[in-house]
Amino acid sequence: MQIKVTVNAEPTLMDVDPRESLLDVLRERLQLTGTKKGCDHGHCGACTVHLDGRRVLSCLTPAVQADDTTVATIEGIEGIEGPDGELHPLQEAFVRNDALQCGYCTPGQIMSALACVAEGNAGSDEDIREFMSGNLCRCGAYVGIVAAIRSYAAGQP
Amino acid sequence: MSDVLRVDAREKVTGKARYGADRTPEGLLHAAFATATIARGRIVEVDTAESEALAGVVSVTTRFGEDELGPPSFVMGGGYGTQSLQPLRGDRIAHRGQPIALVLAENPVVANHAAELITATYEPEAHASHLDADQAETLLQREAIPIPFADDLTFGDAETDMAAAQTVVDATYEHPAQNATPLELLSAVVQWHEDRLLIHEGTQNAGALRNGLARQLNLDPQQIEVRSRYLGGAFGQRNAQHPYLAPLVLAARRAGRPVKLVLTRQQTFHQASFRPQTRHRITLGADATGRMTAAVHEIDQQTSRHDLFPGGYAKVTSRLYGIPSYRSRQRLVRNDIQTPGYVRAPFEQPGVWAFESAVDELAARVGADPVAFRLANDTSHDPVSGLPFSSRHLGECLRRGAQAFGWEQRPLAPGDWTDDEGNRIGWGVAVGAYPANVTPARARVRVEPDGTVLVETDGHEMGQGLTSAVTSLVTRELGIPAEQVRVRLGDTRVGAQPLTAGSWGTASTLPAVQAALEQLKAGESGAEAGNGLPTALADRAANGLVAAAGPVYGEFAAFSFIAHFVEVRLERVTGRIRVPRVLSVADCGRVANRVTAASQVRGGVVWGLGAALREHLVTDPRLGGFLNASLEEYPISVNADICAIDVDFVDRPDPLLNSSGVKGLGEVAMVGVAPAVTNAIWHATGQRLRKLPITIADLPAGGRRPPSGPSTGGSRPTG
Repeated sequence: MQIKVTVNAEPTLMDVDPRESLLDVLRERLQLTGTKKGCDHGHCGACTVHLDGRRVLSCLTPAVQADDTTVATIEGIEGIEGPDGELHPLQEAFVRNDALQCGYCTPGQIMSALACVAEGNAGSDEDIREFMSGNLCRCGAYVGIVAAIRSYAAGQP
Repeated sequence: MSDVLRVDAREKVTGKARYGADRTPEGLLHAAFATATIARGRIVEVDTAESEALAGVVSVTTRFGEDELGPPSFVMGGGYGTQSLQPLRGDRIAHRGQPIALVLAENPVVANHAAELITATYEPEAHASHLDADQAETLLQREAIPIPFADDLTFGDAETDMAAAQTVVDATYEHPAQNATPLELLSAVVQWHEDRLLIHEGTQNAGALRNGLARQLNLDPQQIEVRSRYLGGAFGQRNAQHPYLAPLVLAARRAGRPVKLVLTRQQTFHQASFRPQTRHRITLGADATGRMTAAVHEIDQQTSRHDLFPGGYAKVTSRLYGIPSYRSRQRLVRNDIQTPGYVRAPFEQPGVWAFESAVDELAARVGADPVAFRLANDTSHDPVSGLPFSSRHLGECLRRGAQAFGWEQRPLAPGDWTDDEGNRIGWGVAVGAYPANVTPARARVRVEPDGTVLVETDGHEMGQGLTSAVTSLVTRELGIPAEQVRVRLGDTRVGAQPLTAGSWGTASTLPAVQAALEQLKAGESGAEAGNGLPTALADRAANGLVAAAGPVYGEFAAFSFIAHFVEVRLERVTGRIRVPRVLSVADCGRVANRVTAASQVRGGVVWGLGAALREHLVTDPRLGGFLNASLEEYPISVNADICAIDVDFVDRPDPLLNSSGVKGLGEVAMVGVAPAVTNAIWHATGQRLRKLPITIADLPAGGRRPPSGPSTGGSRPTG
């Protein structure tokens, strides 16, 4: 069936299989491969994207459910490839705090963290740890992830 | 200008880093496997009719010809593969989850749906899925694999010295099977261009993929290009050619289109290698002065029915201390499972957990402080070879760690320390070691017209920070900023790309790069160099075979060392085991790049905490396979499990091992964390728990204080 979805500020019209996940559509059809598949069952958080501003697991979201919504992926977050190629301040904080190793979970961590801060759930390290626990990092970069989110949240106006 | 921020972090935080499956070439087909539902037996018939009728299915293959799909070869048997079993080549089923049919379809959802529609009839046979299963067959490792590598280690006279010991600890430890679960699913994109084959797969061993495929499919290795620029974690699970790859390549050739496979997470549990289940009996003796005089380490380890995966537990437990008499006995227990393999600190995690638990018990029995006891048993010579260690600063790791942790505040007696909220407190310590092996590597450096220095080298970037370490070296040697350095690796276009594993990546690649840089500094505009290992080893590596030297070299033995200090709190109300802080001090020679090295240690600690408190592959004795084959039910540490992890380095270059002074770090970081946790739990409770993982249910009174409420006697605040 046909869906109309705005992906990273670009209106898109496409035919999707009702069985297809938003994740597969993003990766395989729109070549937005920054969003990762780590389990396809909603256990790991690597596929986290924003749907109408809220964090969702794109592997558990049927593409048809994205009809008439706005989707943001790691490729579309504010600041990326700005005029000077600067990073979003949260991305900067991830780099500065070495909040990653292999980098596979990182796009999901960043999408989740942006939402975590916007939700008001980044007030303390304990809150950050709790509200970021849906995003697994097998390399074990959690200390850096918490530090990055803490510093970004503290710098918020 | 030497330590650099992770040089590929920018690509990773923007989603631009491209991993194996992040490719969607024109005309791409998607593959999926149907898998066996029995653990052992024979396939009678596979029914693919319903699957083939599904719209969007291009082909379903249940068997390739034996001439078309050659036999596989096991990496530990002089070959290239994770196991010697090749699915879709015969009718034998060797483990639950073995592929029985390969589907190609126009999109992933159809491919997976079609695979689910495939059914089969089998002739099942009795099977064994764990160490104590009826059908298991137990072999003495040194007889089953009669090569020095797999032999037991014996020196001194353990029996006589044990009989003469003043104090003896004799205990048995159960370590579960565990899975590496790198977050990137096992996957590949394969593409033919006429008679040339291009493989995109996240692998630690592009050389083995190239040579293994060539041997199986009767191709010239030069026809095959393997690219593995980024890996979404590996931890040993991507160290050889997986059985899925050759069928995928054949299917792509038949279809005349590129093919992508992304295994399901459940299939990675059932097809990829894993850390085998082990049982360790440790016997330790000490004399009246608290010196350890004898040690015996006996190990039972799972292997598969079709391969002998050799255990190497004694290599490290024999060298943790200067114990004069030591004997190991390693046995292999054949089960009907996929061949187990290397998972981060494959032998050192289980072996040192058991050994360091027993050492702690012995220290307590002789009334010694566990740090002081370990220091008193330190050694500067390798007790196995009699040679000096190239460098060994374990004593300094312990002393520095104890001071920073505030160890002198720790009460000696266990089970009597609570905080203001009535949570029980325990502090534990343990040490770790890991062989400093090296593998051949070559490097080419070139100054580009724009002034950029291009480094092309062997090695794979798995997140350990090899690219950053190379960049750091170049900035130090040439005095240029990191932005002017470009590193290419993990790609057969720029090198043979032998296995990156065993913590030998950085220590192998850096000396090659350094040697090439010396030529550059001497005035060349481009240079190429190796890392000086013997030609015979280099030839093996060039052909994709495992080629490692060490840990015993001509005149010394080389190991990395670490000491971990762990605090646990057992929550009064919930009984939960929490780890508020860990402090680790590592001796890895020169620290190649501090930012990425510290992250590697923190990651190793997280792995150790997971191994101690969470991770356990639950085998299914009835049907075979694993019962918790998902990231929901195989619980790796999450963010909320992890608190403070402080890392320190001795940071003294190893004077003998290589020109860079670097020893390995990625695995030693994990070794000793689990026993530090269990020793801390003993300190909190007085209970020695000898089976991992430790959960609330294992603790006395479910981890809670007895009904009388928190004791105040002897309790004091922590530092």
